[in-house]
Amino acid sequence: MAKIVLRRVTKSFGQKVAVDDLNLEVEDGEFVIVVGPSGCGKTTTLRMIAGFETPNMGTLHIGGTVMNHVPPKDRNLAMVFQNYALFPHMSVERNLSFGLRIRHTSKKEINTQVHEIAEMLDIRPLLDRKPAQLSGGERQRVALGRALLRKPQAFLLDEPLSNLDAALRTQMRFELKRIHAQFPVTTVYVTHDQVEAMTMADRIVLMNHGELQQVAPPETLYAEPVNVFAAGFIGSPKINLVSARIDHSGGGSALRCLATAIPVTTEIADQLRSAQSQTVTIGIRPEDILPQSPMDDAPGRAVISGTVEVIEPLGAETHIAVRVGDDILTCRTPPRSGLEMGSTVNLSFDIEQATIFDGTSGLRLC
Amino acid sequence: MSADQLVTTEREVTAPAVVRKRRSLARPVLNVFMIVIGLVFLLPLLWLILASFNPSADGTLAMPHPFSLLNYHLVIRAGAGAAIRNSLYLAGVSTVIATAVSTMAGFMLARRKIRFKGLVLVLILFLTGLPITLLLIPTYQIFVHLNWLNSRFYTSLVLASMSVPFSIWLLKNFIGQVPGEFEEAAAIEGASEISILFRIVIPLIIPGILVAAILTFINSWGSFLIPLVLDANPSDTPGAVGIYQFMSANGQVQFGQLAAYSVLFSVPVIILYLISSRWLSGGFSFAGGVKG
Repeated sequence: MAKIVLRRVTKSFGQKVAVDDLNLEVEDGEFVIVVGPSGCGKTTTLRMIAGFETPNMGTLHIGGTVMNHVPPKDRNLAMVFQNYALFPHMSVERNLSFGLRIRHTSKKEINTQVHEIAEMLDIRPLLDRKPAQLSGGERQRVALGRALLRKPQAFLLDEPLSNLDAALRTQMRFELKRIHAQFPVTTVYVTHDQVEAMTMADRIVLMNHGELQQVAPPETLYAEPVNVFAAGFIGSPKINLVSARIDHSGGGSALRCLATAIPVTTEIADQLRSAQSQTVTIGIRPEDILPQSPMDDAPGRAVISGTVEVIEPLGAETHIAVRVGDDILTCRTPPRSGLEMGSTVNLSFDIEQATIFDGTSGLRLC
Repeated sequence: MSADQLVTTEREVTAPAVVRKRRSLARPVLNVFMIVIGLVFLLPLLWLILASFNPSADGTLAMPHPFSLLNYHLVIRAGAGAAIRNSLYLAGVSTVIATAVSTMAGFMLARRKIRFKGLVLVLILFLTGLPITLLLIPTYQIFVHLNWLNSRFYTSLVLASMSVPFSIWLLKNFIGQVPGEFEEAAAIEGASEISILFRIVIPLIIPGILVAAILTFINSWGSFLIPLVLDANPSDTPGAVGIYQFMSANGQVQFGQLAAYSVLFSVPVIILYLISSRWLSGGFSFAGGVKG
């Protein structure tokens, strides 16, 4: 096992900067998930750790050693590829044992280890088959087995579940967590699926346009996003982002948005004074907006009125989209809310539970 | 149904009928034409086979009466067997060398970042177009200088070099079709460059390597000018040169024996095709290796 450290790492392809001045430390035995939209530089980061790409600037340390120019074969890492990359001309057994055979491990040792791992991943009956004779889930487990077998310094996983169907993906998420608990090897996992990131990671590394946005445990990233991008990327359904104007006139301060003025506490008002302009973005998670009957009293909560546009019943909960002026707010409500499309509904939320971002820089103010 | 719809429907029904009638006439005409073309190519082959069993064969197409193996017996006694063995040596050695060199060069050109790679590839392509007559005199001078004349091995080196440029292009393109993830997966598992080539790439492009090898073999097998100029040793004479010398050796052309010699000379290539056709028809298969 090893600690992975990237210090001021930059990688460009021609004029295009894929990874820009990245600083990242992955602790020994930690499960880190790099997440971000397509083209954010997450796969390039993983490929630099693997040794398939060389950083233009900065240093990469694995286990305390600078690895910038060490070829992949000498890094003692294991990788699971998005497209499996199982060798089609070899049986499952030979695919699993490839790394051990390269290292001239004894046949007896190979046999023992292959059967142990096959047992653990439930692929023992498949050992004599070729990859073409396996289902997608079986291939993915063989690819995992090949990575696990060598007991490497670190695991690198490049969107390993993206080719699986939804049910199998959920099952494999459990499997991966179980395997990591059993073999707590340093793991860097790349995905664009924030559900995978939220459910599996010890820490999430969020990237956009080649730049690091935030590194934090999933709960922190969800509750305390550092900027509008982080708030918008993490969470399903997405956070509601509403543009508001700061109004310090009169006795107190208020945020003017959603056709109303929401009074804020002096503490929030003080933090709003550091905003670069008079415009801010309010982020409200769907579960923090509650629909209520027009008669209900909501002391200390902002109340706004809107029209129900879409209702999405999901069984355990229902998502409703409510139009308030030019904005559409999504609320997560209990099932059988009794609301109907086109009906008027009052929504209430606590401004202190909301996250407020600077309208110009997008950074979190409070 | 409206009138417009009816008109459209009638057109749709009648138009294919006309096309079908035209097609029904075109098909037999085309078949007859193709049979005639096929016969034009088959007749010389038929003459060759029939004449080889006819001791008194001449230029006409006739059934041998009686069927005889005398022509084969005579040409083998005249040295056809030894000449074919020499051809096998020249073609075999040049095929092994050219295929090995081309596979490794093709791998590097397909996969590695090499300075001036585009220029190198254009130069290689240029070399494929050079006529042998242009290269023969300087090659002969080099052979004289190095004292390599009259050697089967060095002659086969020249034969190999003639096929290498085309084989490199061919194999570079075949190797380019192998998904890069296989090599990356092998590299991260600890495989060296040479190990990746031999354990991963070569097994995946065997049909392509066979195509390159067969083309080299056929080129070298039928090569006439190079062995004629570079190896004057009578015991090294290959089949192609042997047939030419046999034709002019006896004052007048012995059609039957010449046909038998030609049939014998063709047999190894036919066997090679038959053996390798199983792999050649298979194509590349990366099934299951990567999600397609």
